[in-house]
Amino acid sequence: MSGGDYGNNSAVLVDLVRCMGCRACQVACKAWNDNPGEITACLGCYDNPPDYSADTWSLIQFSEVEDNNKLHWIFPKRQCMHCLHPACVSACPVQALHKLDSGPVVYDAGKCIGCRYCMVACPFSVPRIDFGEFLPEITKCTFCADRQSEGMEPACVKACPTDALVFGKRDELIAEAKARIAKRPDKYVNHIYGEHEAGGTSWMYLAPVAFDKIIPVKGVEAGFPMLGPEPAPQVSETVAIYGTPSALAIVGGTLAGIYWITKRRMEQMGKKGGK
Amino acid sequence: MTTTTKKTSTPPIFYVLAALSLLGVVVGIYRLATGLAYTTNLSNGVPWGIWIAFDFFAVPLSAGAFTLAATLHIFNRHKYHGVAHLALLAGWLGYLMVVLVLVLDINRWDQFWSVLLPWNWNLHSFMFEVALSITLYFGVMMLELVPVVFGRKNWLAVQTVERLTPLIAGVGVLLSTVHQSSIGAIFLILGHRLDPLWWSPIIPLHFFTSALFSGLSVAILLALLTWRAMRQPAPMSLLTSIAKVSGIIMIIYLVLKIGDLLLAGDLGLAFGGSGAVSLLFWLEIVLIAVAMGIYLSGAREKENNLLIGSICTLVALMINRWTIAWFAFKPTTGYTYSPHWMEIAIIVAAFAGGILFYSLGVRNLPVLREGLAEEVQH
Repeated sequence: MSGGDYGNNSAVLVDLVRCMGCRACQVACKAWNDNPGEITACLGCYDNPPDYSADTWSLIQFSEVEDNNKLHWIFPKRQCMHCLHPACVSACPVQALHKLDSGPVVYDAGKCIGCRYCMVACPFSVPRIDFGEFLPEITKCTFCADRQSEGMEPACVKACPTDALVFGKRDELIAEAKARIAKRPDKYVNHIYGEHEAGGTSWMYLAPVAFDKIIPVKGVEAGFPMLGPEPAPQVSETVAIYGTPSALAIVGGTLAGIYWITKRRMEQMGKKGGK
Repeated sequence: MTTTTKKTSTPPIFYVLAALSLLGVVVGIYRLATGLAYTTNLSNGVPWGIWIAFDFFAVPLSAGAFTLAATLHIFNRHKYHGVAHLALLAGWLGYLMVVLVLVLDINRWDQFWSVLLPWNWNLHSFMFEVALSITLYFGVMMLELVPVVFGRKNWLAVQTVERLTPLIAGVGVLLSTVHQSSIGAIFLILGHRLDPLWWSPIIPLHFFTSALFSGLSVAILLALLTWRAMRQPAPMSLLTSIAKVSGIIMIIYLVLKIGDLLLAGDLGLAFGGSGAVSLLFWLEIVLIAVAMGIYLSGAREKENNLLIGSICTLVALMINRWTIAWFAFKPTTGYTYSPHWMEIAIIVAAFAGGILFYSLGVRNLPVLREGLAEEVQH
């Protein structure tokens, strides 16, 4: 895992105080990526579809939070967080997932064997497949890597009418987020979600209430799991880098030694027996 | 190949096993031709089901092949070769079933070869280590089987393989060490999914040590059942020695497991902290304690006791691996999972097919039969 300076990575700041839940981002994502709409049933709330899917990579959720005797209607936008140390990339056996230097975590279907390790490894439960398909690909938000390479901002950011989504360099956006919190401490909790979580993410959030209180109305995974600052793959990669070679060396050396000793002993016993 | 054995009538259980295997083949083809949604109850919130749980169980179940190969060729204890050959045949069939079930499980099975291309290798991924190491070991086992299957032929190829046996066995032991522990290491990155009663930074060691004692127990069980089926007394002096080693490794396993919980201050999880699933933790510990009691005392001298001990060990292993891969493995909120009948049919077929081909192998491979006959005279 390279230490790396991620300040120059492209990033998005999602301001949940500014978002009005119009879902233009959700629609723009579908339009740009040519993803069809889904046939869903009414869930008794505004959430639709109820969760990410192979066809829905960006999703607005609706959350009602009572905080300090005040009701907040919060619309967390969910998509791939494009972690600085992505668990999916670390987990993938065949490098079908990789992180571009500019930030986006992208997928190469031509390498993928479909083990679905990325799906269980992601702390945000992001990667999806269409189980009904013959040989389904892993799908998830691409951070519009194709648009970014042409100097454009992601489709969802482009579509946002209230500037709740802002695209830029990661350290500039962190500075911007801190400035907003400092200016209106009554409106924002003092926490930039994604600045440190799981080692930091490219998508970061500001909210009017504590993030662990933002729970979707429908019983789906909360978008803001409480994660420590250590990168999600840290333990695993440390063991892979140091554990595997040392285990090989120790076991290999021990086996060779035992083989040599027992073989010699057998030969000596053979000589004794043969006289 | 001509069999010198007298023709015995085929017992009806063979037909049952064959029918179950055949059902598995049909379901398997249907799965490959359609998709996971038609044959499994997997979902985006539960991407791993009982097929991968089967793999996590069947790989250590087949570990007898490498532990006895090491006994034979590394520790140079050649009197074990009859038992070792049984374990090798069973182990190879076990890995064959793992590979077949794995191919059904992965959703881009047409690209399985992708993991063999060096420029695709991700050295950070334990899934990579497991996939490559199992594939290579599968080939190594086939080399190890050459003398067993073709031992009577005087071909140059057979002689070459026989001469290289210690080296081949050594490579097999190394590869097994890697993937038996790496299967545990797959869970290192899944701390948010796996219950903390089972998750540990040393989970690879838990998996490796339990594979060792389980593999040895499988060898004991196979030997007892096979010799019994041939109506001959089992070579008890060999089996009790294997049991003793297995029992000692169980002590190491329990010390690693419980010591680890104590050091992490997580032992409370076993007393209600993890909820109902902690019953499975205790069930495993109790079964291993029973097996250990038999293996490390005079009780091991009796055939039936060894039988009980080895069965307890295998049930304990199954509970451990299935708990880690299934019962203590959290789905994404809002999703649930219970296996589709076709998922179960595949697992049943894998066991049925394995047992069927094992029995056929023991009946029809002359080298195996000679090995068994010799050993009884010890």
